[in-house]
Amino acid sequence: MSHAQSHLSRRAFLKGAAVTGAGLVLPNWGGLAYARAAAEAAAKAKKRCILLWMNGGASQIDTFDMKPGRTTGGPFRPIQSKVTGLQVCEYLPKVGAIADKLAVIRSMKTQSPDHPDGIYHMHTCYKMNERTPHPELGAVIAKYNGNPDADLPSFVRTGSTGNGGAGYLGPKYEPFGIDRTGRLPYFSTPYLKDEDEKKRADLFRTVEDEFGVDHKAEPFESHRTAKERAWRLLRAKGVFDISKDWPKAKDRYGDTEFGRSCFMAKKLVEAGIPFVEVGQENYDSHGDNFVVHKACMQVLDPAWSALLTDLADSGQLDNTLVIWMGEVGRTPQINNRAGRDHFISAWTVVLSGGGVKGGVVYGASDADGKTVKDNPVSEGDLFATIYNALGINHRAKHYWGVRPIWLTPEGAKPIKELL
Amino acid sequence: MTRSLSLAAALLAFAAARADDPLRATIDREVAAKWKAEGVAPANRATDAEFLRRVHLDLVGAPPTHDETVKFLADTDTKKRDKLVEKLIADPRFAKAQAEVWDLVLFGRHPNNYTETHKRPAFKEWLAKQIEANDGFDKLVKNLLLAEQPGSQVFYVQFRNAPDDANVAVSRIFLGTQLQCAKCHDHPYDVWTQKDFYGMSGFYVRLTVQEFGNQNNRTFNIGEKNSGEVLFAGNAKELKPGQKGDPVKPKFLGGAELKEPPTPKDYKEPPAPKDGKPMPKPTFSRKEKLAEWVTAAENPYFAKATVNRVWAQFMGRGIVHPIDDFQKENEPSHPALLKALTDGFVNNKFDLKLLIREIVNSDAYQLSAAGPGREALPKHFERARVRPLSAEEIIASLRTVTATGPNPNEGWDYFLRAFGEPANGLGEFQGSLSEHLFLNNSEHLRAFVRRKKGNLTDQVLTSTEPWEARVERMYLSVLNRSPKPKEVEAFVSYIKREPKPDAAVEDAIWVLLNSSEFRFNH
Repeated sequence: MSHAQSHLSRRAFLKGAAVTGAGLVLPNWGGLAYARAAAEAAAKAKKRCILLWMNGGASQIDTFDMKPGRTTGGPFRPIQSKVTGLQVCEYLPKVGAIADKLAVIRSMKTQSPDHPDGIYHMHTCYKMNERTPHPELGAVIAKYNGNPDADLPSFVRTGSTGNGGAGYLGPKYEPFGIDRTGRLPYFSTPYLKDEDEKKRADLFRTVEDEFGVDHKAEPFESHRTAKERAWRLLRAKGVFDISKDWPKAKDRYGDTEFGRSCFMAKKLVEAGIPFVEVGQENYDSHGDNFVVHKACMQVLDPAWSALLTDLADSGQLDNTLVIWMGEVGRTPQINNRAGRDHFISAWTVVLSGGGVKGGVVYGASDADGKTVKDNPVSEGDLFATIYNALGINHRAKHYWGVRPIWLTPEGAKPIKELL
Repeated sequence: MTRSLSLAAALLAFAAARADDPLRATIDREVAAKWKAEGVAPANRATDAEFLRRVHLDLVGAPPTHDETVKFLADTDTKKRDKLVEKLIADPRFAKAQAEVWDLVLFGRHPNNYTETHKRPAFKEWLAKQIEANDGFDKLVKNLLLAEQPGSQVFYVQFRNAPDDANVAVSRIFLGTQLQCAKCHDHPYDVWTQKDFYGMSGFYVRLTVQEFGNQNNRTFNIGEKNSGEVLFAGNAKELKPGQKGDPVKPKFLGGAELKEPPTPKDYKEPPAPKDGKPMPKPTFSRKEKLAEWVTAAENPYFAKATVNRVWAQFMGRGIVHPIDDFQKENEPSHPALLKALTDGFVNNKFDLKLLIREIVNSDAYQLSAAGPGREALPKHFERARVRPLSAEEIIASLRTVTATGPNPNEGWDYFLRAFGEPANGLGEFQGSLSEHLFLNNSEHLRAFVRRKKGNLTDQVLTSTEPWEARVERMYLSVLNRSPKPKEVEAFVSYIKREPKPDAAVEDAIWVLLNSSEFRFNH
């Protein structure tokens, strides 16, 4: 919103308040009805994103890039998915049945082979060892596709799977973290009763109005706006409580923390939140890879498929990009503990919705899955694809001090075939 | 001919007269000249109350107490502002507060090698001691770069095995220049080439960090080897895998190559001593040469980068802005002022206290923050800047204004999380959800407004004065000014409509602590 606009809306609001008279508590700053409606409409047209984060790194060979009959193939059997030419693991039957919604990228070739650096790299598309604090994609999407006047935060994460935060975009875009049981972050519960909170808020507004008469500098306004957002969040936070609807959904999503979080993510994007990250733990199977992956997939399969189905049924899938990825893939070689280690030479990420073409396999690994055979995709390419799908310019320029920085590194190209 | 001669004579006389002026007069003359040239109207002079709070926060990192406020506002001495500045510079908190400022400049909130560097009380103590002694800022920086005094060594620990990072940080902070672009390619808009970059990195490449003691009592020695060179291979984009490059000689930025005795051909670096002893000093120390060169009065960058940074600390913007980007495309807004401050600083033996005293005694510093302008950092210094209080200042302010002493359960880590990094990459303030959830709902903030024997809430509730006077006490305590009649009315009616005042007083003080007037220094 330009300054002129916000000034206008403030004046218009004050006029409006005079009519409604004393006693009615309305947000004073940036909250004028028509301005908000306009911003909401603009934000509605923008796409949202749900990131399903496979923490530790899921095995591509045991999910979407199976190598039956090869020494690297492992014990899982492939099953035919809904898409010709795409076989998936036997423990992903429900996802396989809606594979026409998936774009499977089998040619991820990335640079950061470990957890902290891989987690950072696959959340920001930049290397962690640079001194520049790059924002996670959640913060970028919050900035570009979020509604600044919304009641709800724009970057929500369940679990704790990212490590970059908002970086140079600033504290306004930091993640709002919900733990995996659905509990809101610290300090989300007022110690005052509702009516006392409102009275106190009104006195605050009186003080700010008085000071604001001759103090117009932006930081003052930013302070007030953030205060109002915190209050609006408390009034709107019911949306995070899914206990009423969950019993009806849990059979489809699976009665797990991850299933519940996926269901919540669906509710949150429907409520207008542009980015929700849902983490699933335990993929880091250096030992007993197959036991671990079987267990993980049995949680993943119902949750992911129900999420995509629900979004499609409610007409939201075209507006909502769902990403399935982790920080690394896993080695084709099976180690002497029946495990697979970290692998970045040829691994898999899956996109769906948000206008990305479904039923597509992009890129390929070689017969044993050891290298990329066709169409390597870097972190930057993947992020450029994601940002383009969401209507965000992947070369948007920002600054860290005097240093110019772009949302994706130089040379990153969106995958045209998927868009 | 005659005419131009007399003009030259007049100009000389003019310049001579200026050389004797105190810096504050030069500041005001130059700043006013720019207003005139730009057609900018300055804000009014700050009220005593505005000045009082501002200068307290800027100099000692905390606002004045209620009693100090009352006393200063009632004082009729026309020299009371100057006297206050003297008093605050002599205050033991002055060096501590300035040390906090510089510590954050030198480390930021996320220094590398975080485990070893994120808590550094010994460093801050060392820094405060140097600032207190005021033995020349050049000596302070020299000691910092030598890293030999106890407590000072941790500065280099953040750059362990990362000579390029040390180079970038020192060049940015003390030379006011952005070298990092020249690491991978010649600088796109400045004059620096990759050779300049690697030439400067050569001064740090032989440093090693030795760590002693345990987790709870760590000390460091910054050792320096006799061998080791920076390798340079060309533009990063054109590098082939495995390509190592050729050794580069250390070279002073924009100056000569370092003259040093050659390392004997068959020289082998002895292993680092394992008995907890520091490494022996090298036969030739690049670090010493660097420290001397950076802080020399003739160094073309150091003094002006420093005065520009100190200026910005108090005035918001640098005269060159951003403050660490001196280059020909980024001209100073007030070149004559920058020169006068730089010369004044050098001629006064890099006296930091003097520089600060001159700035805060200027009329330009003492302008009001009120006015229609929206910029946090007014371009022509026509109005006081608005800057968020640091997390450290917030805690100190809460303790002072509510008359609550420090307590171990204050929740510093939460304060740091809520207030530690309030800006985006451009340094613009952003109010955040986490800050306000913390302010609104945390027991940590509430602890400052809950009634406790002797604290502000208790004082107000215990008092038998009329509510008008008690509201005045709240305002004088928290915002260091008297309330306007409208504010008195709003607060009195807020408190009086409750049958018992306890909760309402707590609320009222909470509101003042949450106000934007309190959140910023302005």
